[in-house]
Amino acid sequence: MARFDYVRAHSIAEALQLLGEAGLISRPLAGGTDVMVFVRNEKPPFDRLVDISRVPEMKIIERRGDEVFIGAAVTFTEAEQNALLREVAGCLAEACRSVGGPAVRNAGTLGGNVANAAACADSLPALACLDAVAHVRSLTGERSFLLNELIQGANRTAIRPGELLTHFTFPVPPAGVRSAFLKLGRRNAQAISRLSMAAAGRLDAAGRVDYARLAPGAAMPRPQRFTEVEALLLGQAPTDELLAAAGAKTAEVMIGVTGRRWSTEYKEIAIQAMAEQTLRRVLCQ
Amino acid sequence: MLIEFTLNYQPIAIEAPPDVTLLHLLRDHLNLTGAKEGCSVGECGACSVIMDGRLVNSCLVLAPQAHGSEIITIEGIHAPDGGPNDLQENFITYGAVQCGICIPGMVVAGEALLMRTLTPTRTEIRTALAGNLCRCTGYQQIVDAIEATAVQRRQAS
Ligand code: FES
Ligand code: FES
Repeated sequence: MARFDYVRAHSIAEALQLLGEAGLISRPLAGGTDVMVFVRNEKPPFDRLVDISRVPEMKIIERRGDEVFIGAAVTFTEAEQNALLREVAGCLAEACRSVGGPAVRNAGTLGGNVANAAACADSLPALACLDAVAHVRSLTGERSFLLNELIQGANRTAIRPGELLTHFTFPVPPAGVRSAFLKLGRRNAQAISRLSMAAAGRLDAAGRVDYARLAPGAAMPRPQRFTEVEALLLGQAPTDELLAAAGAKTAEVMIGVTGRRWSTEYKEIAIQAMAEQTLRRVLCQ
Repeated sequence: MLIEFTLNYQPIAIEAPPDVTLLHLLRDHLNLTGAKEGCSVGECGACSVIMDGRLVNSCLVLAPQAHGSEIITIEGIHAPDGGPNDLQENFITYGAVQCGICIPGMVVAGEALLMRTLTPTRTEIRTALAGNLCRCTGYQQIVDAIEATAVQRRQAS
C-alpha cells in the first residue's frame, strides 16, 4: 500500500480546497527537495501531498506598484535568472544562485525554502534584508507575516495545517540601493551554509551611507535584520574603520542572541569578516 | 495511479503507486537502469534526468509529478544509430570515464548544459556539474569532454 496519496492542484483556490479537505491530512509539495528527503527517512505525518509546483499564480515574479510580488512556487533558478530581481534585489538573486547544485535549484522553490525553515536556508537572510512579507492563505482568509514572525525557530513556522504559503512581497528598494549576498560553506558547490550574509546599502551625494540593511543567515534561530549595525553605518563615510566597526558590531549582536557556544570562536571571526566584505561590496564598489 | 508523460521522445502511460520516486519508476517499473541511485537525497547527481528541459535529480521527484512532462534519461541520449553520440564519444576520447557510476548523470548534466548554450566557459561547465559527484576522475577530463563537444557542435551548426 502506498504510504501517501498524490494530487495536483491547478490553482490556489483548488489547492486550498484540497489542503482544507476534512478527514485526511494534506501537505503541500513543490520542488520536493526537502519533502522527498524527509519521507525517505521518516514516517510521513500526512495522508496526501498536494502538488502546487505548477500553479500559475504561484510562479509569478512582477512589480506591483511599489512592491515586488514573488510567487512561492518560483524555483531558485527562476528567481536567480529573473531580470527584475537581479535589478532590485541582487541579494536574493545571489542567494538563490548559491543554493545547492543546478538540479536542486531547478526544482527547489522559495516558498519551500521558507516553509521548511532550515536555519541554514539561503533565501532567509536575503528576504529578511528586503523586509519581505510572507502571505499565507487558507479557506478562511489570508494572514501576512514578516519573516521573523513567520519563522519561529529551526524547521518551525506559524503556518497551520490547511494553510498555504502563496507568495512574498517586499517594497522596491529606493533607487540606487545595491544589495549582495555572501555565503560561507565547506566547499563551493552544493554547500550547506555555515554562515551567510545579506546586505543592502547606498551612499548619498556627499559619500555618506544613507541606506543600510544587514541580515546574517544560518547564525541565528530566526532571520532578522541587525538594526544596531545599520544604525552605526548611517550618516558615515564607508571607511575601512567604519566597515571594521560594523563587522565587530555584527559579531557582538550575534553573540548577544545566541550566547557563546563551542562554535562561537570560529563564527565570531567569520561573521565579522563576512559582514565587512558584504558591506564593502554594496557600499564601496 | 496512471502516470502519462513523454519519455525519451515517446508518449508513455504507466500504472504506479503515488509514493514512489521518478527514479524508482524509471528503474523498477520501466527497467531503465541508466539513472543510478547514489544517495537518494539529492547530493550526488547519479540519478540526473532532464525534465521539461531542465536538469533534475529524479530521486527527489515524486513519480506522479512527471505526469504531463517531457523526461529525457541517459537511455534517450545516443547517436541516431543507437551508438554513443558526440558527447559520449568525447567522454571516451578524453578519458573521462573510470568506474562509470557517475557517468550517466554526468552525460545528462552535460547535455542539459549544451541544450542551453554551446558557448559555455569552463567555469559554467563546472557550475553545471556542481551537483554531480565523481570519486574517480577528478572532473578535469569530464569538463574537457563537454568543452570539446561544445566547440564541435558550434562548428557544426
Ligand atoms: S541519487 Fe539522486 S542525487 Fe544522489
Ligand atoms: S567515474 Fe567513478 S565516480 Fe565518476
